[in-house]
Amino acid sequence: MNTLNNYWLRRVLSSLLVIAVVLSLNFFLFRLMPGDPTGSLLDPRFSPEAKQELLKSYGLDKPLSQQFFMYVKQMLTFRFGISFMSQRPVWQELAERLPNTLLLLFPALLLSAVLGTLLGVAAAKGRGRLTEKAVLLSGAISFSFPSFFVQLVLLLLLAHAFPIFPLRGSLSVPPPTGFWNLLVDRAWHMALPIASLVLLGFGSWALYVRNLMVKVLGEDFILLARAKGLRENEVLWGHAFRTALPPIVTIFFLSLPGVISGAVITETVFSLHGIGKFLLDSVLGHDYPAAGAAFYLMSLVTVICNLLADVVYTFVDPRISFRRLR
Amino acid sequence: MMRISSLSATYPNGFNAVKKADLKLSSGEILALVGESGSGKSTLIYASLGLLPKGSSVSGKVFFDDIEFFALPKEGQRKIRWKKVSLVLQGTMSSFTPVLTIKRQFLEAMEEHLSLTPGEAMAKAVELLEEVGLEGNFLARYPHEMSGGQKQRCAIAMALCCDPDYLLADEPTTALDVITQAEIMNLLKGIAKRRNMGILMVTHDLALASSTADEICVMYQGCTIETERSDIIIKSPKQPHTIALVRSLSMMEE
Amino acid sequence: MSFWRLDTLFLAFLSLLALLTPLLGPVNEAVAPPFCKPLWLDHESGKPLSLNAKDNSLSFTWESKPPKTFSVKGTVTFEGVPKSAALLLAGPSKTYKLVDLAGYRNFDVDIDSRDVPLKLFLGLSPFVDVSNVIFSERGAYSLFIASDVKAHLDLNLNIYTGKWGIFGTDQRGRDVFRLTLAGIRISLLVGIFATLIASTLGMGLGLFAGYLGGLADSSIMRGVDVLLAIPTLPILVVISGVWGRGLWQIVFVLSIFSWMGTARVVRSLTLSLREAPYVEGLRALGAPTGYILARHFIPEAMPLLLAQMALGVPGAILAEAGLSFLGLSDPLMPSWGRMLHEAQVFGAFTSGAWWLIFPPGLGIASICLAFISVGRRFEEMADPRLREMAER
Repeated sequence: MNTLNNYWLRRVLSSLLVIAVVLSLNFFLFRLMPGDPTGSLLDPRFSPEAKQELLKSYGLDKPLSQQFFMYVKQMLTFRFGISFMSQRPVWQELAERLPNTLLLLFPALLLSAVLGTLLGVAAAKGRGRLTEKAVLLSGAISFSFPSFFVQLVLLLLLAHAFPIFPLRGSLSVPPPTGFWNLLVDRAWHMALPIASLVLLGFGSWALYVRNLMVKVLGEDFILLARAKGLRENEVLWGHAFRTALPPIVTIFFLSLPGVISGAVITETVFSLHGIGKFLLDSVLGHDYPAAGAAFYLMSLVTVICNLLADVVYTFVDPRISFRRLR
Repeated sequence: MMRISSLSATYPNGFNAVKKADLKLSSGEILALVGESGSGKSTLIYASLGLLPKGSSVSGKVFFDDIEFFALPKEGQRKIRWKKVSLVLQGTMSSFTPVLTIKRQFLEAMEEHLSLTPGEAMAKAVELLEEVGLEGNFLARYPHEMSGGQKQRCAIAMALCCDPDYLLADEPTTALDVITQAEIMNLLKGIAKRRNMGILMVTHDLALASSTADEICVMYQGCTIETERSDIIIKSPKQPHTIALVRSLSMMEE
Repeated sequence: MSFWRLDTLFLAFLSLLALLTPLLGPVNEAVAPPFCKPLWLDHESGKPLSLNAKDNSLSFTWESKPPKTFSVKGTVTFEGVPKSAALLLAGPSKTYKLVDLAGYRNFDVDIDSRDVPLKLFLGLSPFVDVSNVIFSERGAYSLFIASDVKAHLDLNLNIYTGKWGIFGTDQRGRDVFRLTLAGIRISLLVGIFATLIASTLGMGLGLFAGYLGGLADSSIMRGVDVLLAIPTLPILVVISGVWGRGLWQIVFVLSIFSWMGTARVVRSLTLSLREAPYVEGLRALGAPTGYILARHFIPEAMPLLLAQMALGVPGAILAEAGLSFLGLSDPLMPSWGRMLHEAQVFGAFTSGAWWLIFPPGLGIASICLAFISVGRRFEEMADPRLREMAER
């Protein structure tokens, strides 16, 4: 019984439960849909025998419970089947697109976090001045402006009115040759999407960090650090920020899932060749193997990020030890 | 001698906590600043170090030997802190940054004010810990890995690390058990004599003050109303508030 | 603290507009050519004109660039059957015969300048822009009937200049201003209802979990953890794609995925209340649970709950807007997100029609900002510490 109280065991079990729920949702949602799931596959001119053959090859002739177990087994081993729309293996489609999505999300998240943190610390330091008002304002904007609106405006300004950046796509068509040309082309296409995400994201970071820092700066050990005659920068960064770091790091990992969620919209606005857009297109095109696999993948990444957040926290906060957590 | 002359302090919200306070602390002696909650005693010591929150206004003069503290520029004030006069907070307060080791918090102060090699600084830190009755290996610990009493001793050791002439202690033994209280008080007495340091101790406990301090200064509603040798003030208090305090003392003893 | 500040006034005003939406009439009908610019934007083109000719003739002046299109619709009635009659449009120097009316007692006129038969009738090539030709000069114009029998007109002349209304028109020629106003209702409905349902659900489950404890508590909290771990927008996309695109579907789906925050807050409040010494005292005095709930818990929890709700509405509005933007909403529903979807998909960029993008986007932003502002004030009421920080 003692082992069940183990914190990590509970967390892992919880994560597995989430995956189980996701898989069940995937399975039942797509089968509960009105209409024949293979309607887009089958040519109505197929003979009944040919139809049966096809259904058999997809395993759709077996009882529901058996189909469910087959499905779970396939998902856990990453055998995602063939996409209805493109007739290619789903994992191939996903593998093609995953790097693009990551290339969008990681730089955006990193930049927002860094910029937002710097602004938040600055606002906490110089309270009552313009920076603080700027932080509060950008935070409010972060929470109320729809991402696609900001992105459309950016496109209008910087891709239409002043055509500096491309209107759509992850790469130019045809893509340029040579490593550096390719890199520059990539960067040029990613510039607006990443910039829009940073613009939308840094506000909430700044607000959060500022509130955190204000709280920490009011603590007694900060008073003592000043009394020790340490330089103000040392007090601010070496003591206050360092104390605020564990929750900031946690929030970083916990905000990854939200950013992944938002990728659906960003990739749609900028027509990027990524997983978010793939999910949307598959859903709209009733391509169940593809949609299910994409959703499963995104949920998997979310669960991993949540776990990572807990793990990393134990390394950043000396008060919480990895092994001693109960 | 540390001298506070006509010090007034007002918090940003307008509350005038200290009104023209006067104080004299001699080297080698313990002065207890006694008063009820809200009398302004903690504010007094933070104000004299320039540590009140931004937006507070402080007037008056504070002298550490011949140095007039408020006449110094900000950078000058910073250099004097810890080296000339250091601080020990209440037991309930966190003196130590929770995410840093004790060693780091000792060494950074010494690095800032003294020019020692890392080896010398370490050795000194270990010495100080032993002086307050702790083992050297406490340096490797984090603040949450110590008991209240241990933390307080550590805080005192850290306060001594740059060999200051004066130590300001804000209710150093409140919230500690009686035995630890006595130990800490003896420690402070020993330190004052050995190092010829002046210790200004804030407390609301008149009994404690009378048994440990050489002089007692009574504060009431922001003013320093009476200052006298501790034995004299208990026997013949002059001000009405002091009289009331002494009376409540004897009532408890009965 | 005055209740009627900018944010509450703004929201009250919007609610009023939302209620008056039916007065707008049908918003999904085309009123003008597609992609018309707002009136105040283009100063060269003339204003659109809509005139009604009764009885005999209609005179007007045209002092700007030739319009994009024009149309004449209505009826002509003769007192008797004319042997020769025609509908004429006369300009400063030339007169054009639009249609021959001889031999008709009544005639339904339906002329649009883009009609090819008209162009042929006027002796022009099918690729020529009729309005360019007819309105090539600036000056006095008149629309009239020339016939040997007296005629009565009931005609509407509409001249379209590529400008229309306060916010122009979209790709179908719909008035963007009216669409924007109609969108208020959708956003408010979805936001408020989704949040109400989610809050009720969250309150109920949170109370249950906190009060009953044990298995109920841990299973509800497990459910919260699981739902929180599912990526929000993807699941919304999947469910909307599978289930359907109606307004209430979206409301329901949104509620299912937003009750968790409230549940957690209510649960911790319930737990702290259960252990609170004054509650123990009340129980010792024999107070029934209902009494404790009604007289102590609810007033204590109210500001916090109101804050949760007010801060939850922007989330619901943004989620609905997001889903509509992705194309997952009813095309006939005048949602702001849908407007942005159509702007992107139907080429607002190729035509530079920025007036399609700003009204809905700013609409969403301003409603959300207002709710957040109100929610922050509720938060300050609930937690005095925050009030202090705000006042400093």
